[in-house]
Amino acid sequence: MASAPEHAGQAAAEHGSGIHVVLKAEELFSVWGFPITNSLIMTWMVMALMIVFAILFRRQIAMVPGKLQAGIEMLFQGVLDYMAETLESEKLARKFFPLIMTIFLFVLVANELAFLPGVGSILFNDIPFLRPPSADLNMTLALAFISFLTIEITGATVLGFFKYAGKYVNFRSPVDFAVGLIELVSNVGRLISFSFRLFGNVFAGEVMIIVAMFFVAYLAPIPLIAFEVFVGFIQAVVFAMLTLFFIKLAIMEPHGDEAH
Amino acid sequence: MDALLHAFGIDWRLLIAQAVNFGILFVALWLLLYKPVMKTLDERAKKIAQGVHDAERAAEKLAGADTEAAEIVAGADSKASEVVASARETANAEKTRIVKEAEARAESIARDADARAKEAAAKALRDSEKEIARLAVLAAAKVVGEKK
Repeated sequence: MASAPEHAGQAAAEHGSGIHVVLKAEELFSVWGFPITNSLIMTWMVMALMIVFAILFRRQIAMVPGKLQAGIEMLFQGVLDYMAETLESEKLARKFFPLIMTIFLFVLVANELAFLPGVGSILFNDIPFLRPPSADLNMTLALAFISFLTIEITGATVLGFFKYAGKYVNFRSPVDFAVGLIELVSNVGRLISFSFRLFGNVFAGEVMIIVAMFFVAYLAPIPLIAFEVFVGFIQAVVFAMLTLFFIKLAIMEPHGDEAH
Repeated sequence: MDALLHAFGIDWRLLIAQAVNFGILFVALWLLLYKPVMKTLDERAKKIAQGVHDAERAAEKLAGADTEAAEIVAGADSKASEVVASARETANAEKTRIVKEAEARAESIARDADARAKEAAAKALRDSEKEIARLAVLAAAKVVGEKK
């Protein structure tokens, strides 16, 4: 670890000759056989940053809010109101608020920190030391699994297991049977759409900026970076909102029971 | 499938690690950020509701005080006019009494003066009669003496 900066200097010279794009997060080193990848390191950094912020922020929460507190409160209140409106239940909104908010904040902070200088450019044994967490399918897939499990478990607990299962497997009519199966497949398909959407957007953004920097190192990448900052925000919103909408879909009464 | 997973570097150990990472962040933010902020929001909402309620009650009380004050003023007004009327009545009665008394007194004084004047006149008359008689005697004596 101590010699990392020297390595970085040499490696940067070697890498300067071409475009270095790797689809997967690379293993920096391993601890007891457990691979430590560059995106894992950055995930820890993002977590540490957010937790430290939360600890510092919690100390100065006051009845009369400062600017920061007012902003955070506005965000929370806005999201909570929107969730209550979508789920049509204040109680459910409060229950799911921590999950939706954590998805949003984590993806947002992870995406935006990717634009810090040094991410991707500091090398460790010829490998970028930091990689945006969302540019690693392991992270987006893990998030997608969490989102997926939350959606399915919520549906099963709110509606009851058999009623919820009846949404996907039923024998009311051949059409309903086919529709149910299609919905089942599309539900599982969310795992892929969730994970690849986030991964694809962030990874493509990274590649685009790298390519632009290869051709014109100064000024030209700036609009792209600005756009990618926006994309990073949008992807955080999309991931959180889709989770919310799918929760709403899961707790809705099955077709046939409601008036169309 | 294996090639696909390999191409994207998917490793179940990393998947679990990232899920655990998210879980840790989720719990930490829940305890450190969402709970205290939500508590503050709820407390403030409660305080505002209490404040509005208090203000409403204060306004009600104020309205009550206003009508009460008006009632008191009206009562005081009628009482004041009552007092003034009774005072006027008393004053009138007193005036009449004083005037009557003064008249009576004046009359008695006048009567007294009259009596005294009459007496003085009578006395003067008597006195002058006596004087005249003495003068007559003196005059008679003089006449008699000269003759002597």
